[in-house]
Amino acid sequence: MAKKSWISALTLVTSAGLVLTACGGGNDNGGEASAPASSPAGSQASSPASGGTKDLGKADLTFMFRGGPDEQAAYKKTVDRFEKDHPGVKVKIITTAADQYATKLKAAITGNSVPDVFYYDPGDLMAYVNGGVLLKLTDYVQNNADIDINKIWKKGVDLYRYDGQTVGQGDIWGLPKDLGPFAMGYNKTMFEKAGIPLPDKDKPYTWDEFIKTAQQLTLDTNGDGKLDQWGTGLNVNWTLQSLVWSNGADWIDSTHKKVTIDDPKFAEALQFFADMQNKYKVTPSISEAQTLDTYQRWMQGQIGFFPVGPWDMSTYEKLPFEYDLIPYPAGSTGKTATWLGSLGIGVSSKTKYPEAAAALTMYLTGSEEGMKMLSDAKVQMPNLTDMAQTWAADTSTKPANKEEFLQIVNDYGRPIPGILTYNAEWYNLFFTDIQPVLDGKITAAEYVKQEQPKMQKLLDKAIEQEEKSKSK
Amino acid sequence: MTTKSKLYRKEAYWGYLFIAPPVIGFLVFALFPAVYSIYGSFTDWDGLGQMSFIGLDNFKEIFQDELFHKAMYNTVFMMLAIPVGIVLALLLALGLNRRIPGTTAFRAIYYIPVISSIAAISIMWNLAYNGDFGLVNQFLDLFGIKGPNWLQNVHTVKPAIMIMMVWKGLGYTMLLYLAALQSVPKDYYEAAELDGANAFSRFRHITWPMVKPVTFFVVVTNIIGGSQLFIEINIMTSTGGPEYSSASVVFYVWQKAFGNLQMGYASAMSVILGLFIFIVTLVQFKLDRSSEVNE
Repeated sequence: MAKKSWISALTLVTSAGLVLTACGGGNDNGGEASAPASSPAGSQASSPASGGTKDLGKADLTFMFRGGPDEQAAYKKTVDRFEKDHPGVKVKIITTAADQYATKLKAAITGNSVPDVFYYDPGDLMAYVNGGVLLKLTDYVQNNADIDINKIWKKGVDLYRYDGQTVGQGDIWGLPKDLGPFAMGYNKTMFEKAGIPLPDKDKPYTWDEFIKTAQQLTLDTNGDGKLDQWGTGLNVNWTLQSLVWSNGADWIDSTHKKVTIDDPKFAEALQFFADMQNKYKVTPSISEAQTLDTYQRWMQGQIGFFPVGPWDMSTYEKLPFEYDLIPYPAGSTGKTATWLGSLGIGVSSKTKYPEAAAALTMYLTGSEEGMKMLSDAKVQMPNLTDMAQTWAADTSTKPANKEEFLQIVNDYGRPIPGILTYNAEWYNLFFTDIQPVLDGKITAAEYVKQEQPKMQKLLDKAIEQEEKSKSK
Repeated sequence: MTTKSKLYRKEAYWGYLFIAPPVIGFLVFALFPAVYSIYGSFTDWDGLGQMSFIGLDNFKEIFQDELFHKAMYNTVFMMLAIPVGIVLALLLALGLNRRIPGTTAFRAIYYIPVISSIAAISIMWNLAYNGDFGLVNQFLDLFGIKGPNWLQNVHTVKPAIMIMMVWKGLGYTMLLYLAALQSVPKDYYEAAELDGANAFSRFRHITWPMVKPVTFFVVVTNIIGGSQLFIEINIMTSTGGPEYSSASVVFYVWQKAFGNLQMGYASAMSVILGLFIFIVTLVQFKLDRSSEVNE
C-alpha cells in the first residue's frame, strides 16, 4: 500500500514537472530561424552589385528588439532598406513588449538560441562579455567604410567598451541604438490658460518654486468639487534620480561598492518626492494615479509637468496641447540632474554570419542613411553628433527646445545606477519595497535606514558574481 | 518458456515502439532537466557558462532570504482558493445534476473559462480589476460600495487573484463531480429514503463518500498546480505586486534566473519547491489510505 502511494505521488509530481519544463521551452522560440545551409563564400558573385547595394553574400539573420508601435514600424522600415541595399541578406524580426524583453533575451541566451543581432541593456555588458555571448565588433567597426565611430556620441560608444576589467575602455562589444536623455516637459497651453509665466529653459526651478508653480496648476477647472488638473505626477522609478542627484546624493559611491542611500541628503530628496503627493498635494492622489496613470493623464492635458524622452516625440506630436522641454528642478546643489539612458545593439558570438550581422548593427546605429530614417520617424535622437546638432537646432518641430536633450547628453546626464554593477538586483529592490514611503506610511529617513543593509547585501553578491565570472 | 514465438517477439517490438515517444520525451524533457537543475542547485551557475560547485551555500542563503519567505507565504496563501473552489464546484455539480431545463447550456458556460487561454483570461481580469473603470468596481458601485484598486493594494491583490483562480478552475472540477455524481447508483438513494434518511444525511453518507476519489484527485492536482502559479502573476502584476505581495515562488525563481542571471540559486529554489510539492502530495496519499481503512 505504502509503496503504491509513493509511486503515484512521484508520478504526479514528475508529470507536473513536465508542465513546468514545457513552459520554459516556450520561452526560447527566439533564434530557431538560423538557416541550415549558407551558400559558400565563392558563389556570392551571382547577385550583381549595383549602385548603393553592397554584397555580403547570402545571410539569414534574426534581429530581436523592442519598442512602442511607432518605434517598431520605424525600425522595420529601416531594416527593409538595409535588405534592399544588401541583396541576399534576409532579416527576420522578433519583437516583444518592453517589459518582457530583457527576460526573453536572457531565456534565449541561456537556452542557447541567441538571435544574431539584438538589443541589450548596457548593464548586462560585463555578464555577456565574460559569458562569451557577444561578438567583438572592434575590427568590423574599423573596417566599415559607412560609419565613422568618432561621429557617434563618445558617451554612448563608451557604454559598450569593456577590456575585461573596466567598462568604458578597450574593445567594442556593441553600439548604442541611441542615447535616451530623459528631460522634463511642461504643458505650455495649461500655463498660458492659468496665466502663469512660462518656465525658463536655461534656469531650473528650485524645489520651492517648483512646488509653488505646481500648486498654482492644481485646480478644479470645471467646478464639480473634484480636482481635474494637477501640477505634476511623477513615477518614482524614473524621476527620483533627478531629485537625489541634484540634492548631492546617490545610490552608490564612486567605487561602485557601497550603497549610499542612508545619506541624509538622499532621504531628503526621497521625502520631497513623497511629499509632492502627501503634503503638497500637487499630484493625483494614490488611488487616482493608480487607476489612470499619470502618463495617460498627461496626454489628456491634465498634468502640468511630465518627463519627456526622445522616444515619446512621435506619440506626443498628436497631443492636443503645446509642450516644451525644461531642466528638472534643482535641489540643494543648485544644479539640475537627470539620467541618460541607452540601449545597445550587439551581435551574438554564435552567429553564422558575423559579417552581415555586424553590417546590420552598424547600419542601424551609425550610418547616415539608417540614422536619418530613424530620426525622421521621430522615435529617437540621432546618434551622429553633427546630425544631432542640426536636429536640435530645428525649433519648428515639437518640442522646440530639443537643445535640452543635447545638453543632457553633453553635460549633465548620468547613467542609471543599476547599470554600473554586474546586475541591478540591489537597485531594483529599492523600488520593490518603496510603496510605504510614497503612501506616507513610513518616513524616507526610516526607509533608507532599513533598506541600506538589504541592498548592500545584494550588491556584495553582485560584486562576488562579477569576480567569479572574470576569473573563469 | 525458453523459446518465444515470432509473433510474441514482434508484438513486444511494436509495444516498445509505441511507448518510446513518451518515454524518450520524459527522459529528455523532464528527467534530464530535473537532474540537471538538482546539480545546478549546488553551484553558482549564471546561465551563461560559469558553474562552480559551492555545496549548500544556495540553500543556506534561501533560508534567510526574505523575498523567498514572502513568495512562499504568498503561494501557500493563494492556495486557500482550492477548498473554496471545491465547495462551489460541488454545489454547482449538485445543482446541474438535477433534471432542470437549461443544464446543458449552464455546463457549457461554466466550462468556457477552462478551455480559454490563461493569458487571455489574465488580461481580461486585469481590466476587470481596474479601480476606476473595471467591471468589478462598477458592479460594486451599484450597491454603493467603493471598490478598492484590486491589483495595486497589498490587501486585495491576493484575494483578487484567488477569485480569478476559482473562476477559472470551477468548470473543470464541476465536470469531474458531475461525472462522479452520475455514476452513483440510484438505488442507494432509494434505499436510504426508505430508511427515512433526510436530504442532508443522504448527502453525507452517500454522495460525499461516493465522490471522494474525485475530491482527492482535485485536491492533489490543484495543490501541485497552485504551487506552480506563475502566468497569472506575471501578466497581472508584472513586478510581483505592491511590496511583492503577489509574487509566487515560481515567479521569484523566474526573476532570479532570467532577470539576475542566478541560475544556481533559482535551481535551488526550484528543488525546494519540488520537495515541498512531493512531501505534501505524499502526505495526502497517506491520509487518503488511512481514511479508507477506517471506513
